[in-house]
Amino acid sequence: MVGSRARVSLLSLLASAVLALAVHGQTPASNGFTLTENLGLPAVDAGALVGEPRGSNLTAGEFHGALGTALASESRLGTVSGLAYVRGKVIVKFRSGVSGAFHAESLRSVSQTAAVSPRPAYADFDVIAIDPNEDAEAVAAALRERDDVEYAQAAYVMHPMLVPNDPLYKRLQWNLPLIDIERAWDIQPKPGESIIVAVIDTGVAFMNATIRTNIFGFRDQTGALYPPIPNATLPYAAAPQLVTDGRFVAPHDFPNNTDTPLDFDGHGTHVSGTIGQLTNDGIGTAGVAFNVKLMPLKVLCSDWDILFGTSAARCNTDDMVALAIRYAADNGAKVINMSLGRTSPATCATNRNAPGCAPAVEDAMNYAVSKGVFIAVSAGNDFDRGNPTETPAEIASRIKGAVSVAAVDLSKNHARYSSSGSWVELAAPGGGGGNDDLGYIWQQTLDFRFVNTFDLPVAQYRAPRFDVMAYIGYDGTSMAAPHVVGVAAMLMQQGITDPAAVEDALEKTAIDLGASGRDDLFGFGLIDARNALFGKGMAK
Amino acid sequence: MKRAIALVIAVRALTAASPAWAQTRGLFDATGDAPMISLRPFLDVSNEKFLAVKTFDAIFGETSARFWGGGLQVTGWHGRVYGELGASRLMKKNEQLVGQRVFVSDGKVYKLGIALRSTVKPVEFTAGYRFNAHPRVIPYVGAGFGSYHYTERSDFADPSENVDVTKRGGIFHAGVELRAHRWIGAAVDAQYTHVPGILGNGGVSQQFAQDSTSQAKRESDLGGWAARLKVIVGR
Repeated sequence: MVGSRARVSLLSLLASAVLALAVHGQTPASNGFTLTENLGLPAVDAGALVGEPRGSNLTAGEFHGALGTALASESRLGTVSGLAYVRGKVIVKFRSGVSGAFHAESLRSVSQTAAVSPRPAYADFDVIAIDPNEDAEAVAAALRERDDVEYAQAAYVMHPMLVPNDPLYKRLQWNLPLIDIERAWDIQPKPGESIIVAVIDTGVAFMNATIRTNIFGFRDQTGALYPPIPNATLPYAAAPQLVTDGRFVAPHDFPNNTDTPLDFDGHGTHVSGTIGQLTNDGIGTAGVAFNVKLMPLKVLCSDWDILFGTSAARCNTDDMVALAIRYAADNGAKVINMSLGRTSPATCATNRNAPGCAPAVEDAMNYAVSKGVFIAVSAGNDFDRGNPTETPAEIASRIKGAVSVAAVDLSKNHARYSSSGSWVELAAPGGGGGNDDLGYIWQQTLDFRFVNTFDLPVAQYRAPRFDVMAYIGYDGTSMAAPHVVGVAAMLMQQGITDPAAVEDALEKTAIDLGASGRDDLFGFGLIDARNALFGKGMAK
Repeated sequence: MKRAIALVIAVRALTAASPAWAQTRGLFDATGDAPMISLRPFLDVSNEKFLAVKTFDAIFGETSARFWGGGLQVTGWHGRVYGELGASRLMKKNEQLVGQRVFVSDGKVYKLGIALRSTVKPVEFTAGYRFNAHPRVIPYVGAGFGSYHYTERSDFADPSENVDVTKRGGIFHAGVELRAHRWIGAAVDAQYTHVPGILGNGGVSQQFAQDSTSQAKRESDLGGWAARLKVIVGR
């Protein structure tokens, strides 16, 4: 990667924020910036990026830069679970029929500072604000002892399931033929055209806009000061290969509570491209179900979200993910992609209230499936880092209608990073990484050279641009799940409307890899889009 | 039900012979009046209820089909025994059953909108005995075997995914021939066919067969129960 990635400390962040406020005498908006929609030029297409060295130092489960530092300041490691959670809040579900007064008694009995935050109509749980110095896992444990509490958990921090790389140019999308998508397109020439797919991720580059904001200053790990950029005007453009009329449905940004879930990272846009990149138009790359409608739901933040002023406490947490799942189900989504996750205890299947488990997410997933929504979750990228249990992947394996997805490379081998375990249900192309261009999944997304300006030396540091798109190769189970989602959307379009039946179809038609039958590396095997769609005749 | 009532009425009408006709027994006595050997061409229509009910219902949305056909019956020993060779075709446009490919999950059938066309072409040989019970009413029973040519073609299928196979099956039937005229008779019978080896080895029939032990034999059998009506020309 060119240059060293900037690192932010909380003190420098706060100091810069104060400086920015002092200079400009204005209070940032709730999301830290103002947005003028549809003001700005279309995206610049930088083509496929070539000649860039690979070797990103980003690894799954680790946050760096502004987001990493902000999350580090807002979170702590659980003393019981060992997992990171955001300070100052606990996710609680009270049993139905219990009065509000009793809720208050429950709260006071475990924390004098606890207060129930307002909740959206589509949530079935509450977020309890507590003193940031309190141990959220301990408060959750105390709440769980109450008869009126169904579950209580800390707001554990999720991350995108991505092993990012620096891009190399290659337009060969080996991943799509690997799942026999061309013959599936023969059967369904307008794949997924009546299906809405929710992408719960970092947002999507889905609109043209002009952003005006004060960018906080920060210090990197070497102590170098990156100055604030007051009153910055930032161009933002939709990814041209994603946007058509009526393509995007009910977008929402959960950390900022707006309907403009703009992607300042590139991950969500890349994932969306694999699901529904415009295809057969002579431009760029193809997507699996290129006629689906997309519902961008932002729950994961990037460095720029933090530097623009988004509260890290609202980024990447279980409650945001749970809200987004419910929102998707209530707003017409039929398929959900979750290329995100975190590690969790192995015991959540038998004790979902154990510290580190995600009952709020589990209930939300069950709710969505009960409303006819199919969910695909990336299995995790931690195979060579102790291969811990991953959630929500593990949850998905317990829900008929939700699946966890491992990654394979172009030779149908297990991708070196792809987490394995009893929760793995299916496999899809995620790329094997390495020095070969064919080790990656290529899609159009934000050009990191114009986005990640915090990677530049201070002297070259400048405001980012979000209006330059490029075809970039990523690898990870984040890239595998969207393949399954695209095929699931096609199955729904073809007539398999029950999420449990969609899972059944994908599993029964998968190409068995590895040990015969289901195994922990590949689950039931590599998805086969055409065979899933082709179904069965009388005798064959 | 309506068909059954109509059949009973027809039989009653033919068998309610007038006293005058009772005196002309020889004219209609198949075993008495019939020649030693008689060649009797026939045309028939049948309605077959397939054994593989779940399979046919899933793919075609119906569990029975009409056939039309014809053949030649040879009676011997003055009409006491017979052998017949017949062929039949589906009474459908292009002689095809048209349905859709499906996916079955947890017993529920999801139609996939991919057209599937099947043909069934039986060629059957049976032989049996005709009872001299009444001058105009001749019950008979028979058994035999048939050759069943089955094809299955789906849109978007590779050649290897289509089916074109011929298998043998067994037949048993019993019915009654009604002599309306010295040279013309009609026969109604019930015929059971057992045709293994075509269904049950793949596709949804295999899935249904595997899902339930009690269904396994039926869903692996292309045969069924048929009600047949034949018009026979000859003595």
